Amino acid sequence: MNRALKHCAAATVMVVASAGVMAAGYGDARIVDPAPGWDHLWREVIIDITVIGILFALMTAYFIWRYRRVPGGPTVGSGPTLSTAAAIGWVIIPVFVFMADDFFIAANGWVLWNSYRDVPADRLEIQLESGMYSWDYTYPNGAHTQNQLIVPAGKPILLRMTSRDTLHNHFIPDFRVKEDSMPGRVTYLWFLPKEAGKEHIVTCAAYCGVMHSYMAGRVIVKTPEEFKAWYEASGTAAKKSS
Amino acid sequence: MNLKEWIFTTDHKRVGVLYLIGSIAAFIVAGVMALLMRIELSSIGPTITNNPSSYNVWLYAHGAVMILGFQIPALTGFFANFCIPLMIGAKDVAFPRVNALSVWLFYVGVILALLTFFIPDPPDVMWTGYPPYSTITTGNTALYTFTVLVLGFASILGGVNFLTTIAYMRAPGLTWNKLNIFVWCVVGAFILQLIFVPVLGTAVTLISMDKYLGTHFFDPTQGGDVLTYQNLFWFYSHPAVYVIFLPFFGVLFEIVATFAKNKVFNYKAAVYGGIFGIVLLAGEVWVHHLYVSGMVDWIRVGQMVTTLLISVPVGLMLISLVGTLYKGSITFETPMLYALGVLFLFLIGGLTGIPLAVTSLTVHLARSYYVVGHFHYVMAVAGTFSIFAGVYYWFPKMTGKMYNEFWGKLGFWVTFVGTNIVFWTMMDIGVKGMPRRYYDYSQFPQFEGAHQLMTIGAVILGIGFAIALLNWIIGAIKGRPAGNNPWGSMSLEWTTVSPPPHGNWPTPPAVGAEWTPYAYGKS
Amino acid sequence: MSEHDAAHAHHAGHAHWDTSIWPAIISVGILAWSLAFSLHFVYHQSFMALIAFGIGIPLIFGGVAGWTGEAMGTGEGLAYGAMGWFILAEAMIFMSFFAYYWYMRLSAPSWPPAGTPPLPVVYPIVMTIVLVSSSITIHMAEEHMHDGNRSAFTRWLLLTMALGLTFLGMSIYEWSHLIHEGFTIATNSFGTVFYSITGLHGSHVIVGLGIFTAGLFPALKGKISSSFWRTASLYWHFVDIIWFFVVSQVYFW
Ligand code: HEA
Ligand code: HEA
Ligand code: CUA
Ligand SMILES: [Cu+2]
Repeated sequence: MNRALKHCAAATVMVVASAGVMAAGYGDARIVDPAPGWDHLWREVIIDITVIGILFALMTAYFIWRYRRVPGGPTVGSGPTLSTAAAIGWVIIPVFVFMADDFFIAANGWVLWNSYRDVPADRLEIQLESGMYSWDYTYPNGAHTQNQLIVPAGKPILLRMTSRDTLHNHFIPDFRVKEDSMPGRVTYLWFLPKEAGKEHIVTCAAYCGVMHSYMAGRVIVKTPEEFKAWYEASGTAAKKSS
Repeated sequence: MNLKEWIFTTDHKRVGVLYLIGSIAAFIVAGVMALLMRIELSSIGPTITNNPSSYNVWLYAHGAVMILGFQIPALTGFFANFCIPLMIGAKDVAFPRVNALSVWLFYVGVILALLTFFIPDPPDVMWTGYPPYSTITTGNTALYTFTVLVLGFASILGGVNFLTTIAYMRAPGLTWNKLNIFVWCVVGAFILQLIFVPVLGTAVTLISMDKYLGTHFFDPTQGGDVLTYQNLFWFYSHPAVYVIFLPFFGVLFEIVATFAKNKVFNYKAAVYGGIFGIVLLAGEVWVHHLYVSGMVDWIRVGQMVTTLLISVPVGLMLISLVGTLYKGSITFETPMLYALGVLFLFLIGGLTGIPLAVTSLTVHLARSYYVVGHFHYVMAVAGTFSIFAGVYYWFPKMTGKMYNEFWGKLGFWVTFVGTNIVFWTMMDIGVKGMPRRYYDYSQFPQFEGAHQLMTIGAVILGIGFAIALLNWIIGAIKGRPAGNNPWGSMSLEWTTVSPPPHGNWPTPPAVGAEWTPYAYGKS
Repeated sequence: MSEHDAAHAHHAGHAHWDTSIWPAIISVGILAWSLAFSLHFVYHQSFMALIAFGIGIPLIFGGVAGWTGEAMGTGEGLAYGAMGWFILAEAMIFMSFFAYYWYMRLSAPSWPPAGTPPLPVVYPIVMTIVLVSSSITIHMAEEHMHDGNRSAFTRWLLLTMALGLTFLGMSIYEWSHLIHEGFTIATNSFGTVFYSITGLHGSHVIVGLGIFTAGLFPALKGKISSSFWRTASLYWHFVDIIWFFVVSQVYFW
């Protein structure tokens, strides 16, 4: 009961708080990076379900051991016949406890979801067209890359995605993001590269045909200066060629 | 034995046995596909085929046949057919010929699915069949469409038949609140089938129309929309997992009550809260398969809440099931071992659904091996174990003979070990980023060891299942006579001879006011 | 029947089990038709497809005929309740199409899409009147059946079937007219929806007429099963009600 009450209270607080985050989120320059938030929530939910799982498993194991048939013991069970009040109690209380936990998880999930969907205003916006089987990025200045997403460290990156042919899914495990791209719609995702000099795998997470498992790319994180140099050079190159 | 009386039979028990044979055959074929996939994945790069298409066809056949050809027919075909008229004290189902049509259509569906291995350009659209790929592939999408349509139609016929049977043909005195929980579970499952299968039928018909008849349902350049397919598909296919879940939980209830010699704990909570709670919620959660598909945001958040709430009715059923052990007198024959195994393994499967239900966590987990691990725990482990438990449990009734207890238990322990090796490892590498439906994981060399471990686990698993299958075959041929009620169960199906004759009872049973299928210690 | 057999089996240790070959025959026919589709559309083996289709026809129609002949009047008295469940499933098929249509239409930038000719207004109203009258006539037939007036029953039944056929004929005329104007199923997304929804409904009219025909021959010979006709007319009313959705959503919205 105690745990349930705490969860219920926590859930209420979280719902209110998340509404607050929603309202305050716009125009707020502070960047809420979802990736560490993901790790945090994952740990929390895993602990939550592990506790539930162990409780149920221990209870089951205890019953199995305690009520096994022993020589000379009873040969039929004597499970209780519940009174109406007890029967209803055995519904109401578990329902209350389970729902409290569900709302608690949902509220936390919602807060994190908001940071996944609210893209910081100060961002680099890149167009992505996916196709069988490559990722084609176009930068605001016309610079164009394939299977290599070159980004500056410390700046939120927003991808606006569409597809030439089938479904594809731009999955960057290191940044804990993925979203489908498809013909006829524009979808988006964003992430925050932090460490310059690192490379991160981009891989396709929507079955898109024979070579689906080979549809891979890289996010290449540069320092802001390096990035600037590369960006301007390839921007002018793109202008010349067009 | 008269072969004609088997093949063209309209008797529910024989129809049930035909369903069992067909679905076990489907299980073996799809299991062999799984082994091929596992061997292919045991090393980076090509292992036994250098053509990714072969892998994709195996995966398509594995998923589609396991779900549509094995689990749904075994649960709503075999168990429902064999048990329900016996459990409600009826001579047969309401429409025996419709029943025969449904099993025949099931075989047609399985034949269509198996044609995959014999035709040029086999279907390679995965069991989900998403367009646009399914409408532009050179593979035979029509075969996928017709497989689904035929099996779906078979299931609708079954649903109409059983709901009518249960509503009108119960034995005198057998009121709704005295039904076996299994019967209730089948009611729930078939209500879901009747409502949702037509939607699936429509969805797969539309992709074949787009591909072959030139329509534009999913073609955005002509005003169509690719996402509608995913919505229609999951609008059925999420409830479909409860079409699997409900009957297998029903089987567990029967077994646990019998081997604990105990009444079901809080029966009404399990039926009206659990089963009907699931039926009510099942249709409102499908978007959890589309969390990363580009749906509008508000619906993703809304369905996160409904998905999480599914844990409430499932939890109620679990409490009733575990509570049935309380103050029981428990023995551990093979069916009970499998059933108790499920009690633990289903917890893993069900609870790992919780992170998936959380929209923001799924942003990382979706389409990864974590998902594959989750649904193998609930379906391939909990579901298959329950089916095996049920077959062992009703084996003496079905054949009149007894299987071998030693090999039964051995088979259980081997599978128990194998499953956990395979499917636990899947969840682990999934969280670390391994995407599903990959023929080759050369981008993720760090997972090679885990994949090898899973391949070994799959072989162990296969051996365990093979032991069980052989045990049945040998038991059916030369097992010792089992008697009419070897488990000492109270349920009606055990009051007739084993195997039951055509018509089930010389004089149909009637039940008294005190009787319930779980009234142990009263008679 | 089975009670006797079961008792018999019990004593003699030898059972006679009921069988029927018609379900098997129908199923093989459905297999043949499924293969015909693949052969024609996927493998472009039109001749083989034709053969498969041709094999399917006698199997399916013969199977249905044999089935009705064998089962008519033998106590399938629960059919009426079962039809209720079946109609639930059928309604869901239509729901899926409508859901697709609403979703697509409400998210379309402009409607109707380019290439759509103006649809007639009076013609669908006439079709509606025809179909509604057929619902009334089948009801009359049922009344006469309950009164035991066999010839009046057959007369009203035949009238119903005539109205159903008229409706189908009008649909076909309408289709060919529109196709002639260049509006086909492949023209745009509205064409896709228009033909698939009206076609789906039309196929239900055909099935309804098929059920009537299957019962007509036994009826002409004086074998009238009241549960069969109650069930058949329930189905026909359903087909009729669905038409209101079709006509209001597709023609008049
Ligand atoms: C029998 C089959 C079965 C069952 C029963 C379930 C049960 C559940 N599943 Fe699963 N699922 C599948 C089969 C099944 N699933 C399949 C086949 C797929 C993948 C399809 C594909 O893409 O190919 C899938 C995929 C899938 C996804 C999509 C993942 C993705 O592709 O991104 C999600 C997301 O929400 C999900 C969630 C759940 C949840 C919340 C439950 C819940 O019903 C679980 C409820 C159970 C418990 C929670 C445990 C017991 C309860 C308690 C102990 C009470 C207390 C608990 C709490 C308060 C939390 N499942
Ligand atoms: C009920 C459903 C079910 C069952 C039981 C299984 C069982 C198994 N599955 Fe299944 N699987 C799915 C449903 C199921 N699966 C689905 C829906 C998918 C997704 C498809 C998609 O992505 O579209 C999937 C995907 C899937 C993948 C993911 C592949 C990928 O994404 O690239 C893998 C990988 O290892 C896998 C492995 C296994 C294994 C090792 C088993 C083992 O449990 C199998 C064990 C069984 C056997 C090995 C057969 C044993 C019997 C014999 C050997 C008989 C011989 C004996 C005699 C004749 C006496 N499955
Ligand atoms: Cu692109 Cu998979
Ligand atoms: Cu689901």
